Amino acid sequence: MRWILLIMLSVSLPAMADLEYSLKPRQIAEDTWLLEGSTDNFAKANGGNIVNTGFIVTERGVVVIDTGPSKRYGEALRKTIATITDKPVIQVFLTHHHPDHVLGNQAFADVPIGALAGTTELMHQQGDAMAENMYRLVGDWMRGTEVVLPNQTVTPGVLSFGNHDLRVLGLGGHTAADLAILDQRTGVLFAGDLVFYQRALTTPNSPGLSVWLADIATLQGLPWKLIVPGHGPVSSDPQPFAQMRDYLSWLDQLLQEGAASGSDMAEMIRSPIPERFAGINLNRYELIRSVSHLYPRYERGQMTRVDSGASR
Amino acid sequence: MSWRMTCLLACWLPLAAHAADIDPGKDPVPSVMWAFYHKQMLGDAPFVFDDRVKLLAPPFAEDARQVPLEIDARAFKGEVVKILAWAELNPLPKIVDFQPLDRVLPWLSIRIRIEQATPLRAAVLTRDGVWHVGSTLIDAAGGGCTAPSVVRTQPGWEEHIGEVLGGRYPRNEFSRLRVQVAHPMDNGMVSGIPEFYINHAELKDLNDQLLARLELFPAVSENPNLAFDIEGAGQTRLFIRDTSGNEFDASIP
Repeated sequence: MRWILLIMLSVSLPAMADLEYSLKPRQIAEDTWLLEGSTDNFAKANGGNIVNTGFIVTERGVVVIDTGPSKRYGEALRKTIATITDKPVIQVFLTHHHPDHVLGNQAFADVPIGALAGTTELMHQQGDAMAENMYRLVGDWMRGTEVVLPNQTVTPGVLSFGNHDLRVLGLGGHTAADLAILDQRTGVLFAGDLVFYQRALTTPNSPGLSVWLADIATLQGLPWKLIVPGHGPVSSDPQPFAQMRDYLSWLDQLLQEGAASGSDMAEMIRSPIPERFAGINLNRYELIRSVSHLYPRYERGQMTRVDSGASR
Repeated sequence: MSWRMTCLLACWLPLAAHAADIDPGKDPVPSVMWAFYHKQMLGDAPFVFDDRVKLLAPPFAEDARQVPLEIDARAFKGEVVKILAWAELNPLPKIVDFQPLDRVLPWLSIRIRIEQATPLRAAVLTRDGVWHVGSTLIDAAGGGCTAPSVVRTQPGWEEHIGEVLGGRYPRNEFSRLRVQVAHPMDNGMVSGIPEFYINHAELKDLNDQLLARLELFPAVSENPNLAFDIEGAGQTRLFIRDTSGNEFDASIP
């Protein structure tokens, strides 16, 4: 009996200790730190740490960009910040309402949490359902996580935090309310999920791929020096923009042509994915999702009213 | 024993012997309910698990209220009597009973609701009396059957019931025909809203010749999407009836 207990302890203790996000802050520019997540899908193995979050240590205090997928992540992020600087966290920005970016809010409840008005509205509508789904996908990592709505509405423009002027943009291609932040001192562009790099983009709330393509053009036109995508590695060259434009255009054309030839969803999800996108993680998985999100609009565009009531 | 009984028995014996000869093969999906559905849907008739019946669905349901299904039994062209489809672990499992009669290929696409991860089946009855069963599995976060209606949140939805969007898309040897019918397809599982769904549809040509017949069941998604492949040219007419007796029709040019 004692043996069994011992064996069970030795098995279960390390398993519990494993539920620790070992966040490794990496300095990517002056005063600017990145916590890079994997480009995988949500899983019990990664605790949902598939997202890039970051923070800027200004003279006045720390500005945090996105809080991560869980309460536990938010707390780990806050501890990590404390290992880099003694300055207090003075501001949190949420790039958009998706769960991997906002469910760490509980750890920053004492700080202004700013987001676009549309983001707060979407979190209000969808937050609980998204959190619930996260519990299903990553399990115990989510323990205690609850939705905390933003307590500050961000108006696009230039906001000063000590020696850092942050240009905040209100865009919408990914979720209809997408915030991007350009640090005018360092040229670091926190693009949120308007930019995915080497990881297939996601479309559950996208108002349309043309809106997203226009946002990419807007971002690329900014005086940026380093792109921080919402998912995937940072880049000092414009390759992430090129990849986004290529992928969005391909997807748009695929859905357009599919609808014009009367293909059904079940056929569309089996469409061949061009070789040049082979290095983009989760491309098939996200194509299946995007067809579900976007294809209904395309197919309706290729159908006309045919019922006898139409002519009456 | 009357001569009639004897005659019946004599007729039955070869059939029974034939059925016993068929090896159904191994079930390609893990199912706890096959025996039940074999009895309930197929009346314990002879069957084979047959990968020539392609039942194609995404590996997971991104939207459990609108899951695309494609049933492809073209390998049995000319032999098909009817196609039955169901989702094993749905509270309302039955999806469709499809009878392609004339010029309509044994192929159908349709969207359904699923309540949880489940095996899906499409059973094709061929003229020799054997059911050929195609199977697949789908994963889901769930709740597609009990989710509140999307249609009913749209103001004035009652005005649009029975409106049909459609199109004909010529392929090489056939035309793809697609329709989307505005209808809430209430399955009776949402509190306070009784069953109200399209349960019958027919495709006819201009000469009133019946091309295909469908019975639809509450697992079909709201605003049902259907696609058929039809040989030959000419206008096709769609006749629809719902459980309240409303009748709608459409002409796809």
